[in-house]
Amino acid sequence: MIALSILIPLIVLAALGAIWKARPVHSALFLALSLSLVAVLYLILGADFLGLIQFSVYVGAVAVLIVFSLLITRPSDETKEIARRPQSMLAGLLCSVPVLAVLVYAVSFSTPTEEVAAADTAKIELAELGKTLFTTHAPAVMAVAVMLTAVMIGAALFARDINERES
Amino acid sequence: MNLLADQAGVTQAVDAPAIWTTLEALPQLPNRLVGWIGFQMNIPEWLATLLGLLVSAAVVVGVFLTCFALVSLVERKTLARIQNRYGPNRVGPFGLFQPVADGIKMLTKEDIVPYKAEKLLHLIAPIMIVIPAVLALGVLPYGKEWVPVNLELGLLFFFAVGAMTELSVFIAGWASGSKFPMLGSLRAISQMVSYELPLLISAMGVIMMTGSMSLPAIVEHQSQYNFGVLSNWNIFTPWGLVGGIVFFIACIAEANRCPFDLPEGESEIVAGHMTEYSGFKYALFFMGEYLGLFAISGLFITLFLGGWSAPIAGLEFVPTWLWFFGKLVCVIMTMLWIRGTWMRVRMDQLMRFCWLFLIPLSLLTIPAAGIWKFCGEGFLAGLLGWGVTVPFLIVPYIIITVILNRRLAPATRQYHFAE
Repeated sequence: MIALSILIPLIVLAALGAIWKARPVHSALFLALSLSLVAVLYLILGADFLGLIQFSVYVGAVAVLIVFSLLITRPSDETKEIARRPQSMLAGLLCSVPVLAVLVYAVSFSTPTEEVAAADTAKIELAELGKTLFTTHAPAVMAVAVMLTAVMIGAALFARDINERES
Repeated sequence: MNLLADQAGVTQAVDAPAIWTTLEALPQLPNRLVGWIGFQMNIPEWLATLLGLLVSAAVVVGVFLTCFALVSLVERKTLARIQNRYGPNRVGPFGLFQPVADGIKMLTKEDIVPYKAEKLLHLIAPIMIVIPAVLALGVLPYGKEWVPVNLELGLLFFFAVGAMTELSVFIAGWASGSKFPMLGSLRAISQMVSYELPLLISAMGVIMMTGSMSLPAIVEHQSQYNFGVLSNWNIFTPWGLVGGIVFFIACIAEANRCPFDLPEGESEIVAGHMTEYSGFKYALFFMGEYLGLFAISGLFITLFLGGWSAPIAGLEFVPTWLWFFGKLVCVIMTMLWIRGTWMRVRMDQLMRFCWLFLIPLSLLTIPAAGIWKFCGEGFLAGLLGWGVTVPFLIVPYIIITVILNRRLAPATRQYHFAE
């Protein structure tokens, strides 16, 4: 409980830092910090697999991706001013408030199913997790897989177009 | 001494000489000593647990820092021998105190922070490089009894903390506020991200065979013997051989070693992300790199070379951790040998090698491991497994390397004036 009461304010602070920092790279690093602290939260709550996956996916892949794209696109100092303009703040609010509303609604009005409530969350076998993923939740996994494949093909096509234009 | 195999094909060393059993328990000595002292002084249980954890961590860090000092000397000596030189031989007998001299030099050097650097991030980056390496070293099983932290998801933990390295390399490059570190870190990150894929995918077959992500369980699975003699290491199976070779190549690339040492190739892009670092921060980068090298070599040994298990039955009386460190020496020496004899690849060759060769090959090992597991155990099943998986691996290999990559292979160079 003590650990949580220290950790959660830190997560929130890191998230605020991600929004508030003027330089995009600082924001990205704060985002990585916030996401890795969430991974620590999962570990404290006993969801080891989820915590480690959160760490490797968000810190290892997503944060690096963001940072990489920032460097390749070379954000100039103008971005600083753009970020502080009222229009962009309004646009940001328009995007984030509905998401927040949906999340708050989903979290506060959902009740755990009997299976979940009955399960001993601290001791879920990894093999069982895998079996559930590829039997009960197979349609969702397949939908995500198809979407990702489509995205990858699209990215490859875009890259090919750029290469051809350059050469 | 009775070392005969029993009926189940599992050998057990009975009546091993006392010296070996004592040696086997040697790594636990500090822990037991602290435990005994704690018991005598009647300290509370939580303090004893904490002290125990600290001592096991201190043992690992101490052992591998000594290894770091030794390897930095052995590396220079070996490279010198390969290049027909003497290598460091001025400090102490045979240059044995060279690491000490290096350490003093590094510690007393001026710590320069560039004017344009981000002060805080510039300081954090070298520390952040060392942390994941030490964390990763903490989960490896060094011996039957010597597992510093026994995690159920050890393998996943290893890769998850390894993900931090890329971010710290980026921070080092970006916080220096100069273009060469930036370019170097971009190259380093793109290399690490690319080579992490074959690394992870080729480890997948091992997880499939063992059915667990716990590193001690993976070693346990390999420490049985076929026909009572031959060890059951993963590298002795068709999928394990291919996966092991891919994993080893990806290891070298992840550790930024020759022939994949582009990020810090002195002749190409200065010292990569470490260009603006000096003094002890530079030493920390080197320490992180070598500790990471030990960690990833240790993982290679654990996954494919049977971890602490003996190569043939009958040699099990030798302490298990000695086997592990013997294998570690072999792996590191192989890497030094490669460094001494191989030329550095070009950036586009590096990427192409990964994406067009290593990743397809590592993807092949997953179904091959599945077939192998399906074939089961025993002599006939093993024969069937070899019969099915070898063509399954070789035919696509030929298609990938010979047919698909032919267009990309460098053309045979014509030396017009040579003849």
